[in-house]
Amino acid sequence: MGTFNPPKKNVVLVVEDEPLLLMAAVDLVEEAGFEAVEARNADEAIEILNAREDIRIVFTDIDMPGSMDGMKLAAMVRDRWPPVEIIIVSGHRKVADDDLPARSVFFSKPYDVDRVTAQLHAMAA
Amino acid sequence: MRQTNYDDQTDLHERIEALEAYDIMDTPPEPEFDGIVQIARVICRTPVALISLVEENRQWFKARVGFEPCETPMAGSVCQYALLSRELLEIPDLTADPRTKDNPLVTDEPFIRFYAGAPLITPDGIIIGSLCVIDTVIRPEGLDEEQADGLQALASQVIALFEARRLSQRKDDLFRRQKGITASLRNAAKETLAAQEAGGVGTFEIDLTRNELRASPEFYRIFHLPPARSYPTSVFETMVFSDDKGTQSTQANRADGSAALDVEYRINTPAGLRWISRTANFIRGENGLPVKMIGAVKDVTVTRRAAARIQALLDLGDRLTQLSDIESMASAAADLMAKALDATRAGFGIVDPVNETVLMQPQWTAPGITPVTGLHHFRAYGSFINDLKMGNPVVIPDVTQDPRTAANAQALLDLGIRVLVNVPVIDQGNFSLVVFVHHDMPYQWSNEEIAFVRSFGDRIQAAIARVRAESEQQLLHREMGHRLKNTLSMVLAIATQTLRPVKERQYVEAFERRVHALSTAHDVLFERNWSSAAIVQVMERTFDRLSVRDRVVLQGEDLTFGPKGTLSLSLLLHELTTNAIKYGALSNTTGKVVLRWYLTGEGENTTFHLDWQEIGGPPVHDVDKAGFGSKLIKMGLGGTGKVDVRYESSGLILRMEATLHQLQQAEH
Repeated sequence: MGTFNPPKKNVVLVVEDEPLLLMAAVDLVEEAGFEAVEARNADEAIEILNAREDIRIVFTDIDMPGSMDGMKLAAMVRDRWPPVEIIIVSGHRKVADDDLPARSVFFSKPYDVDRVTAQLHAMAA
Repeated sequence: MRQTNYDDQTDLHERIEALEAYDIMDTPPEPEFDGIVQIARVICRTPVALISLVEENRQWFKARVGFEPCETPMAGSVCQYALLSRELLEIPDLTADPRTKDNPLVTDEPFIRFYAGAPLITPDGIIIGSLCVIDTVIRPEGLDEEQADGLQALASQVIALFEARRLSQRKDDLFRRQKGITASLRNAAKETLAAQEAGGVGTFEIDLTRNELRASPEFYRIFHLPPARSYPTSVFETMVFSDDKGTQSTQANRADGSAALDVEYRINTPAGLRWISRTANFIRGENGLPVKMIGAVKDVTVTRRAAARIQALLDLGDRLTQLSDIESMASAAADLMAKALDATRAGFGIVDPVNETVLMQPQWTAPGITPVTGLHHFRAYGSFINDLKMGNPVVIPDVTQDPRTAANAQALLDLGIRVLVNVPVIDQGNFSLVVFVHHDMPYQWSNEEIAFVRSFGDRIQAAIARVRAESEQQLLHREMGHRLKNTLSMVLAIATQTLRPVKERQYVEAFERRVHALSTAHDVLFERNWSSAAIVQVMERTFDRLSVRDRVVLQGEDLTFGPKGTLSLSLLLHELTTNAIKYGALSNTTGKVVLRWYLTGEGENTTFHLDWQEIGGPPVHDVDKAGFGSKLIKMGLGGTGKVDVRYESSGLILRMEATLHQLQQAEH
């Protein structure tokens, strides 16, 4: 093949239990120029994080079934993978800033695609 | 007048009654009567003189001189013959007279020979005896006229003395009776005093020149002071409870008579706080200035506390409806209970029912009382947690006496707890809080007060059940809002996927933004349980979301809209703003929008006006007439269609109106 190596794409781990919303989020991430990895719940997300080292950003919903919700997942990510950036979305109107892990950003559902896209770019820069 | 000769029996009865009336028989000698017999003896020149009173079987001598026996049987009586006539009876030779010649006093010692007796006749005419003189020699000449008159005069003196005696006796009787009455009055007074003591009434008198107080024993009892002749008034003034200082009289306001006459205040006593009701009056001197204050005090602690309890229950009702978290409720309840019970400490603690510990929270304390802090094990203070766990309030009037705490009393006393009141708060089946009230002194509990504590407990429980129901409803609302927003997200996801092939992306984006506008309106409504929203908040959220908040000037007073009005306003502002961003004043970097609103009319006819004015944008013209956005705008606020659109050279001016009632109505 050619000698030119295309720039390595940033990988975004999308965590969402609702398939339709997962599909929309993956579209958003890919259209923003990132590679998307899907997880249906927090446990799956942890497995992926343990298995791969190229996850740059975790994009997670809060309300999910399983052993932990998105808030706990975010807290664990911040603790175990400090360099990884975090975007949290929820149908809950608001999450208190104190409850958010450091360097994480919250969007209320339904989120504005342009704003989330801008945030992804800012975090990857 | 009476006849001289009466039937003997009648005579005898009358005589005995008269003697009884004089109450004279067998009384000790009296100098007045002794004096009379002395005079009689001297006048008549006889060795013997007697005042003889004749009963049925004997004659008895009230006074006698020259004669030994104080009485003789009737057989030896010469006087009996004197009773038969109102005239003086003289027997010159007793040995010669057939009535007396066999009389033992004549035939034997002392061998009497001469007798003269003047009858003693009562004012009613009854002859009760005689004043007689006796000689041991025969006196054939008898008494001369002067002697006879003298003897009769003395006899009437005897009767006069008897009468006087009887009168004085009656006076004595009256006196005695009066004394009896006085005594019974005094007894009655004592009883009243006792009643006053039971009722706690004491009296006092303040000498205003010396500022000295003298008072009844009960007064001192009320003030818990040893009785004394007097006290300086300052002693009582310093006893007044700090919160009530200024209620009691002072040297200054007594001196000018301006002190309140009827007051109530609390005093500190060794038995704890007591409520005193004091009523007083001034006694004024000749110059009109007060010289004395006199009055009465009563211990009204029981009634005051009863009133305080009722007030506390009323206040609790108010407070509990205003408060929405359980800890504030527990704290408010503790405060109110402490006031009603004159406690020294009150508050609540967070209970760990498994470990049986309580974490004491910041609390109210009386002045000078140290708060109880930190984590405490219930069992270190006794067994009363068993009652609390069953939801029963605990009232321990004296921790040293109650079987639940007696063994651990010292631990409680070390914390300044002599009286312990604990009301458990059961939240969702768990013993989660305990409301407490402490006294550092023993406190006499009435049944009413114990019922009061229970009632407090019941009310706290009821309020907590209400708060729980409300928070469950809140949870339900939150869940509904959450699901609605997830649904809107799904709609957007579906639309994004479905409309992927559509080339005109602006329509897809416009659709997405309108869904967002709807979502924003729901956010604002959600905050007030879907019942209403503040319009300024709706406006700010809309402009924030479109990042033009700093370019819109809001002019108007905040109002509340119902759900329908809120959604309408939110969608309209969204369309107007996106249009302005695309074509109008917000399409460049300098234009502005002035959003102004106001009300006209009154009552049912109050109209809400909303003016949208764009300034500093490029020249505008009517575009996109058939578009959804334009249609939405033309529908106006709440779909009234009352919209006036003008394209001025300065920019778009849009005026809308709707009745306030329509915008505020609650139904969706």
